[in-house]
Amino acid sequence: MQKYSRTKTKHHKQSFKLLGFLDVKNVPCARESVLYGSLGSLVVGLGHFLATSRVRRSCDFAVGGFICTMLGYWFYCRYNLAQQRIRQRMLKEGMRNKMLFEGSSFDPEKKQTGNERSNS
Amino acid sequence: MANHSQLGFQDASSPIMEELVEFHDHALMVALAICSLVLYLLTLTLMEKLSSNTVDAQEVELIWTILPAIVLVLLALPSLQILYMMDEIDEPDLTLKAIGHQWYWTYEYTDFKDLSFDSYMTPTTDLPLGHFRLLEVDHRIVIPMESPIRVIITADDVLHSWAVPALGVKTDAIPGRLNQTSFITTRPGVFYGQCSEICGANHSYMPIVVESTPLKHFEAWSSLLSS
Repeated sequence: MQKYSRTKTKHHKQSFKLLGFLDVKNVPCARESVLYGSLGSLVVGLGHFLATSRVRRSCDFAVGGFICTMLGYWFYCRYNLAQQRIRQRMLKEGMRNKMLFEGSSFDPEKKQTGNERSNS
Repeated sequence: MANHSQLGFQDASSPIMEELVEFHDHALMVALAICSLVLYLLTLTLMEKLSSNTVDAQEVELIWTILPAIVLVLLALPSLQILYMMDEIDEPDLTLKAIGHQWYWTYEYTDFKDLSFDSYMTPTTDLPLGHFRLLEVDHRIVIPMESPIRVIITADDVLHSWAVPALGVKTDAIPGRLNQTSFITTRPGVFYGQCSEICGANHSYMPIVVESTPLKHFEAWSSLLSS
């Protein structure tokens, strides 16, 4: 009987879950959002402290800065990602239609050259 | 199918499931922001000395009314968009009927010919090597890929539910009622699901297997079935 050795194969990508639920490694834009959020938090908190020397209020601003920067970058990144995906889909469909309709009456390039001939 | 100890979604194989995964990521990011805030406030509260000096808190009451409203709007808008997207049924190329029984599914392809078959789970003792326990069936549903498919779901005896996580589909099968759902598979593959409504002793042993293939293979399969 053939023996099958148990080899440890990675069936899933490794994940790093922030607070136990947000997988920053595999979710697009998550890692950048958290990093920019941390940077924003540092800048706002430190800036406020340097300006006012109030520790408690600077911490409040730091947390507020973290949340606002993180969410702000998140929306910006996801919006760009959605636009990119739409463009990818249009490109994929365009390439497929080009292959499908090449040489036929539906070929848009044929219609364009036909129009040029009729205009001249 | 899901891997062992998998907690997250399966890879999306339909546009709706892709949208659901993106919405889930968005909801988790909002949840992270809220959890960070709550954690910080909790830390502050635990470090503060107790005081009953506060008698008037108009500003903070305004903040904790408006902020949750904003959060709800951030979650509700994409959620409603997907909800209405799921209800769109755009001229399906194929209509498939799924009928739930205790404890198997019957599928009917009646668009062009009367094709009908039962789909029973493959018992573990009969499972070929490398196949998935409690997920494989004797007859799979075969559908053409990148084509809108409508599934009409009902049941013959008790409540069942036709669910395929990779396609983002879960619809109850109710006796005496026809429920409709639709999906498009974006790529070829085999997608597994299981009955999702308790229906008796063998509720866990009536899986669903959807095989998505290019159109010519689907045509070959359906002509084989009809002969």
